[in-house]
Amino acid sequence: MSQALVDLRAEQLHLPKTSRWCKLAPVFGGLGIAGLLTALLLAGQTTLQHFLFSYLTAYLYWLSLALGGLFFVLLHFLIRANWSVSVRRMAENVTATLPLLALLALPLLLGARHIFPWAQGVVSDPVVQGKAAYLNLPFFYLRGGLYFAIWLGLAHFFYRWSLKQDRSEDAELKEHLTGQMTRFAPLGMVLYGLSQTFASFDWVMSLDPRWFSTMVGVTFFSGSVVAIMAFLAFMAAALHLSGQLRDVITLEHHHDLGKLLIGFVLFWAYIAFSQYLVYWYANIPEETSWYRHRLVGSWQVLSIVLAVGHFGVPLFFLMSRHIKRRPMALLVGAAWMLALHYIDIYWQVMPTIHRHGVHFTLLDLATFVGIGGLFLAVFFWLLRRFPLVPVGDPRLAESVAHENF
Amino acid sequence: MATPRVSAVEHEANLSDPLSGRAPLLLGDRSLHGITKAVCRPVECVPSRAWTLFFVVSVAMMGLYVLTTAYLFYEGIGIWGVNNPVNWGWAISNFVFWVGISHAGTLISAVLYLFRQKWRTSINRFAEAMTIFAVVCALSYPTIHVGRVWLLHWVFPIPNQMGTWPNFRSPLLWDVFAVTIYGLVSFIFWYLGMIPDLATLRDRAKTRARKITYGIFALGWRGSTRHWKHYERAYLLLAALATPLVLSVHSIVSFDFAISQLPGWHTTIFPPYFVAGAVFSGFAMVLTLMVIARWAFKFEHIVTIRHLENMAKVILLTGMIIAYAYGMELFIAWYGQNPYESFSCANRAFGPYAWAYWIMIVCNVIAPQIFWFKRARQNVVVLFVVSILINIGMWFERFVITVTSLHRDFLPSSWGDYSPTFFDVAALVGSFGLFFTLFALFIRYLPMVAMSEVKAGLPEAKPHHGAEGGSREASATGEGA
Repeated sequence: MSQALVDLRAEQLHLPKTSRWCKLAPVFGGLGIAGLLTALLLAGQTTLQHFLFSYLTAYLYWLSLALGGLFFVLLHFLIRANWSVSVRRMAENVTATLPLLALLALPLLLGARHIFPWAQGVVSDPVVQGKAAYLNLPFFYLRGGLYFAIWLGLAHFFYRWSLKQDRSEDAELKEHLTGQMTRFAPLGMVLYGLSQTFASFDWVMSLDPRWFSTMVGVTFFSGSVVAIMAFLAFMAAALHLSGQLRDVITLEHHHDLGKLLIGFVLFWAYIAFSQYLVYWYANIPEETSWYRHRLVGSWQVLSIVLAVGHFGVPLFFLMSRHIKRRPMALLVGAAWMLALHYIDIYWQVMPTIHRHGVHFTLLDLATFVGIGGLFLAVFFWLLRRFPLVPVGDPRLAESVAHENF
Repeated sequence: MATPRVSAVEHEANLSDPLSGRAPLLLGDRSLHGITKAVCRPVECVPSRAWTLFFVVSVAMMGLYVLTTAYLFYEGIGIWGVNNPVNWGWAISNFVFWVGISHAGTLISAVLYLFRQKWRTSINRFAEAMTIFAVVCALSYPTIHVGRVWLLHWVFPIPNQMGTWPNFRSPLLWDVFAVTIYGLVSFIFWYLGMIPDLATLRDRAKTRARKITYGIFALGWRGSTRHWKHYERAYLLLAALATPLVLSVHSIVSFDFAISQLPGWHTTIFPPYFVAGAVFSGFAMVLTLMVIARWAFKFEHIVTIRHLENMAKVILLTGMIIAYAYGMELFIAWYGQNPYESFSCANRAFGPYAWAYWIMIVCNVIAPQIFWFKRARQNVVVLFVVSILINIGMWFERFVITVTSLHRDFLPSSWGDYSPTFFDVAALVGSFGLFFTLFALFIRYLPMVAMSEVKAGLPEAKPHHGAEGGSREASATGEGA
């Protein structure tokens, strides 16, 4: 099995110092800082609430991507996959942004009073008062801390063990580490599922404290998996087009990532439609109010854009085998899904304050670029620092040789 | 004929998780002829006394179903325990129970196929057969529940001079479409996959009658490359078509409940939760039947402990998903602060049907947790007992959902209680008779294991087999999970 490993040339496994990929980290870092500064400047011209909502939208976008990465890594070990070894490092690099995201959550925690109606001093609504045992700031902070403790812990250990495998020459140690990750994956998945669910309750569902749905955790999950699959497919295709990793991440991997992408796009649509249908049919005001806000004025247009763009277009575009095996086409499809995922998050968060229609501002763009720039800076910095694939994984050779039939 | 000898080393390899390559899936005699012989034997030998006894008892139970149904048509559904306010009783629970059971077959044959899970080949035929028989059982309930069974064709949108149409906004009509299509696609998929094996039976037939019968159903299969090419393509397409059905059928069944305004029924997580529950119960049923069948028909070397362990893992996974759904329902019932919803939840756990609720929790949430332990997953007795518990638990889940939400109406003056009559019990027992009768016929006349697919998973079936200088074949005796 080590035969194939020998064939992996060093310049394929590391980004050459002269490569344009290596310049991306500082570029994105600069963009991120500029974006955040612009956002702060723009914040002076608007309300604090608007700024925080804009920030929350951008934050949830990048957080969902990072959590998707964590899911991908955990899933890889849970099901003992071998094809996905060679794309796993990129997912690990995505999870490594979680410490940064924990830091970037501070404005949201500090500004919680201005975001969540239930946190605003005296609550007069008896329904919301009834939820006080859950929706109160100390408990909210405690839970937030717990979620990040879980995510950071999982991301840290899985990344560290994977890097340890890279450096190790000892075959026994490598096997031991893979075994360890495989053993921890099921428990990690349970913790991930619960923390992700309650995080989406706290940060998305409670924006409208009267509204509730048992599906919110699954909805957020489906969006975040679409995001990570799109991101991985985008990166795989982009690296391929730039001549990197061609022998390691092959068209077979592109094909599989594309399949999973369209699969989760369908899953997203299934979940979104199921929730909508159940609420539409029963037509109970306390539940339909949430959709009501999203079906007035220009929000209705955005709802249709979301349904067509996040489901209809990729359904037909990504269906074809040829598209998934053409890097340029896959790149376009993945980029499209990454853009639509922003609309999805925006559509979930923003109608809370813009009741009468879509009101996209420069501030929304600035916060998105701000958080995203820092996120991508970390990602590309790690991409340059460590091998592009987990070179120490005992299953790498199998992954490289993987073929669809 | 005794089970082929299997050495301890082979057993160990079968249960191992090698880091490179995959553990061998088959034990004992792995030759092409050996597989054919092991699978065809139950079909070709004189039926054993055990099989005959099983068949007779099953037919007797089915006879009970026929009789109780005949009386139902004569007397009306008043013979069941259903009344206001519990208009849906055991019949609906049974319907959902059987539809759920059917899901494992499609998941194994279609979804696991797309996920390249080679271990599925040993169990997919068996599970698909179960799917079809379970759909037959499931469809029988709405059929006899309609009251005027002679007007059953009205469930279909058939043009008529009165211009009456079924209500297209009713999930009950969606059920008609969903379950019918599901049954049809599952049947076609099952039959298509069986064609090469039917040809094998035809070629091995010793009597003219067998030769002609299997010959007709083998559709002239000669195993030419052209045949295989078409077959593989059709199989892939049907797998892709059947995959959405795994999700859609039970989602639509869940809409029967979820789109209403009834507390305990109306909750958004119902569609995916029902699908997970269906796969959960279906795998439990496959496990129950497979544990018996592999022992009785001596193909423990084809359906190994590893296959059983993999099924136990799927059961654990789907069991965790339904535990999650139960938890979400409880949390949101409190979080939503809707007094009716919280009452309904409390009533389930502590009301008159609390015993049913706790049976459900113990069987569905607590029992499968034992599968966290490898030793439990590899112990046939534990697997069998837990799978039976899950079958019971999943029936009670549907009972709890149906009855507890109905028996406490919004108006306390309309509250009532429900208890089944003899005819309810007879209909449930009878449906098992129908199911087992079909199953007995299946194992008697059709190959229980997809021989051609099992063989295609062997190392010599690989296009590059032998061409790599034997570097990989040492580790690969069929790839698997």
